[in-house]
Amino acid sequence: SSEEDSVVEGGRSILESKTVGEGSKEGLSAANHQNDNLNLGKKAAITTSDSGHCTAEEALASEDESEESSSFSSDDEDAESTEIGREKLVKPSHMGSVQELGSENLIDETSDIEDLLKEEEEYKEENNCSTETSGALKWKEDLSRKAAEAFLRQQQATPNLRKLVYGTVTENSEE
Amino acid sequence: MATPAHSLGYAGCNFLRQRLVLSTLSGRPVKIRKIRARDDSPGLRDFEASFIRLLDKITNGSRIEINQTGTTLYYQPGLLYGGTVEHDCSVLRSIGYYLEGLLCLAPFMKHPLKIVLRGVTNDQVDPSVDVLKATALPLLKQFGIDGESFELKIVRRGMPPGGGGEVIFSCPVRKVLKPVQLTDPGKIKRIRGMAYSVRVSPQMANRIVESARSILNKFIPDIYIYTDHMKGLNSGKSPGFGLSLVAETTNGTFLSAELASNPQGQGAAVLPEDLGRNCAQLLLEEIYRGGCVDSTNQSLALLLMTLGQQDVSKVLLGPLSPYTIEFLRHLKSFFQIMFKIETKPCGEELKGGDKVLMTCVGIGFSNLSKTLK
Repeated sequence: SSEEDSVVEGGRSILESKTVGEGSKEGLSAANHQNDNLNLGKKAAITTSDSGHCTAEEALASEDESEESSSFSSDDEDAESTEIGREKLVKPSHMGSVQELGSENLIDETSDIEDLLKEEEEYKEENNCSTETSGALKWKEDLSRKAAEAFLRQQQATPNLRKLVYGTVTENSEE
Repeated sequence: MATPAHSLGYAGCNFLRQRLVLSTLSGRPVKIRKIRARDDSPGLRDFEASFIRLLDKITNGSRIEINQTGTTLYYQPGLLYGGTVEHDCSVLRSIGYYLEGLLCLAPFMKHPLKIVLRGVTNDQVDPSVDVLKATALPLLKQFGIDGESFELKIVRRGMPPGGGGEVIFSCPVRKVLKPVQLTDPGKIKRIRGMAYSVRVSPQMANRIVESARSILNKFIPDIYIYTDHMKGLNSGKSPGFGLSLVAETTNGTFLSAELASNPQGQGAAVLPEDLGRNCAQLLLEEIYRGGCVDSTNQSLALLLMTLGQQDVSKVLLGPLSPYTIEFLRHLKSFFQIMFKIETKPCGEELKGGDKVLMTCVGIGFSNLSKTLK
């Protein structure tokens, strides 16, 4: 369903940001954006906590199970089969809350993680290349004109103190 | 100086002191009209009359003409004579008002000046004697005015409205001034201060120190604020307290801030804690403005640069004060000297507000009154 997909996306982007680079702004902002879009605040909370605690190895280990389960369409059957995988993923402290709330999302998440990660990385690289090259080109375009403009702008922005001090003298005319 | 030059004319009571001091140094007479002509009590005030009397005492052969109502003043300066002088200042302004004028004139006397000034040592308007002692004296030393006899001493403190303070100022004479190159203020290395209290509980000064330190301690460890509680005859005639803070940089620049309590019977009572805190914040603001010269001494530095030898002087100032701007215009009309004024926007290296680099070539003023030995 669409809800599940969006949750998965949110989880993916967070995980991506964790693995690819902690501070990658794009991943985080995307995650935030998607979390905002979710009306299911609780589900979002679960995915974030999961991605926070499970490492990449764990995610990979549970891949087989998740792939199996992803083939199933019914939610009820999923819930039982994923019980084991979820316990692996989630820390004991978070067990309670996770059990109560929908656990079916976890499996789909982990299954798609790798593919989505790769896609994201490729996309990023392309993006970087394009911005760098275009930026460099723009920067090199007629430098002398830009320098002249910057100089004039600077001249106009800084007040001419000499004029302010001496130019406005009116009363000091000598007798 | 005795050669009669054509006089300069001004209207209004503003910048009277500047005009008289520059007139004395340049030897050009001034005529000032319309001094508070439309005021309810027209003419010169007591403190201005007192300043003119002081000028008369330290010069020889000055001609001063004041009309009946005191709205017009003609001043033809004589020779700066100096010597040992006593003067009772008006209690309407503090001794700082008179001392600022004297600091400009004292190095160019015939005889070294030794003057006893009586009146108000600290008030809320003028720079106090403490601040001038801590900032103006080191500045004069940069221009080569130095010596054992160069001192400013507070014998008694006097607060407004009663006054009753006493100050001794002595200054050696110099034939020429050194040009200066003050372009790097350096970094703040220490903060010193003076918390004074007269005719109130001595605990007031301690409370001021505590609150001032509460702010300054966050920035620099080297802080020492002295407390000065004067008693009996040395405490003047009115109660009061205050604080003056001076920040010294690694390159010998002194930046100051000060606050004083409201005079007795005027305004609400000031808490010493508030006063200390506000004064510390004023010091931080002064440090933000920065420059190689404290904003109270900008005009003094510019004057000494003008009167220096025929050599280039440079000084980096914080934002110019209105008083300094008017002083620059007066320097132009009295000495025909114009400064090169460059704004130095604060870069990454230079923190704080925008700075102004002032450059001029001295007019080669030499102290003709000084006798050769």
